[in-house]
Amino acid sequence: MTLFCPEPWRTAAPSELVDRPPKVESPGMGATATSMSTRPSPVIVPDTDETRDTDKPWQVVVWNDPVNTMGYVVYVFRKLFGYDETKATDLMLQVHHEGRAIVSDGPREQAELDCFRLHNHGLWATVEQ
Amino acid sequence: MSHFRTTAEGIQVDLSPEERLFLGDVLPLLAGIGAPGSDPAADRLKVPVYLDDPEASEEWWRLMGQDLQTARQADRAIYQRVVSHEGTTTLDNEEADAMLRVLNEARLTLGARLGIDVESDHDDLPEESRQVMDYLGWIQEELTVELMRSL
Repeated sequence: MTLFCPEPWRTAAPSELVDRPPKVESPGMGATATSMSTRPSPVIVPDTDETRDTDKPWQVVVWNDPVNTMGYVVYVFRKLFGYDETKATDLMLQVHHEGRAIVSDGPREQAELDCFRLHNHGLWATVEQ
Repeated sequence: MSHFRTTAEGIQVDLSPEERLFLGDVLPLLAGIGAPGSDPAADRLKVPVYLDDPEASEEWWRLMGQDLQTARQADRAIYQRVVSHEGTTTLDNEEADAMLRVLNEARLTLGARLGIDVESDHDDLPEESRQVMDYLGWIQEELTVELMRSL
């Protein structure tokens, strides 16, 4: 298959030296994080429901991805969360350069819903407290 | 000139027959996504939601997974209508959003199968694969620009 493409298009500048989602062992899902992470994984501190702080807000984290474009990520942040261009761009750049950014927080139910909306747009989002 | 243009009626789409044919191939690509663990694309589209709690992740996917799949199928139905339409067509923002998500899903699928783990992997792809990724990215960026105008 040969396609005409009028100008080279790139996702973004290389940024290998950023954090990645830590390697986790989860049947059926852990392989994804493993395959997309070639860097040493940080130690994961076991957490249980008993240790959750019910008053502490839950945070939605978006992780860097080598395929999603910068413009698309900015658009998704603006559309889903109503952020202005400056804030959405700052968050996108934080994701790009630091590997992750907290894009919203609140009650657990809201965080999980935000996570759903981000996944529906193909962004790699996680929930943490 | 962009394939998309914002008008009073919505976002006007103008794709050549060859482009519509090629973009139509995205649908069997997505329909052919296998199961997590056997297809990198499926792994990419079903990532853990709680990194420190596999059980909570499983529960989230149990509750949300079907809704997510239903939403993706709805997007693909809209996308199919767009790429099947001969000549110029006009989309409202929801339809344009659906098309954008399908294009993104296609690039995620291809990227995962091509083993793109970091941005620079893109440059090392075989020429044909790189051209496909570039073309889909080009169309996606054009549509993103138009949708951004509506915010």
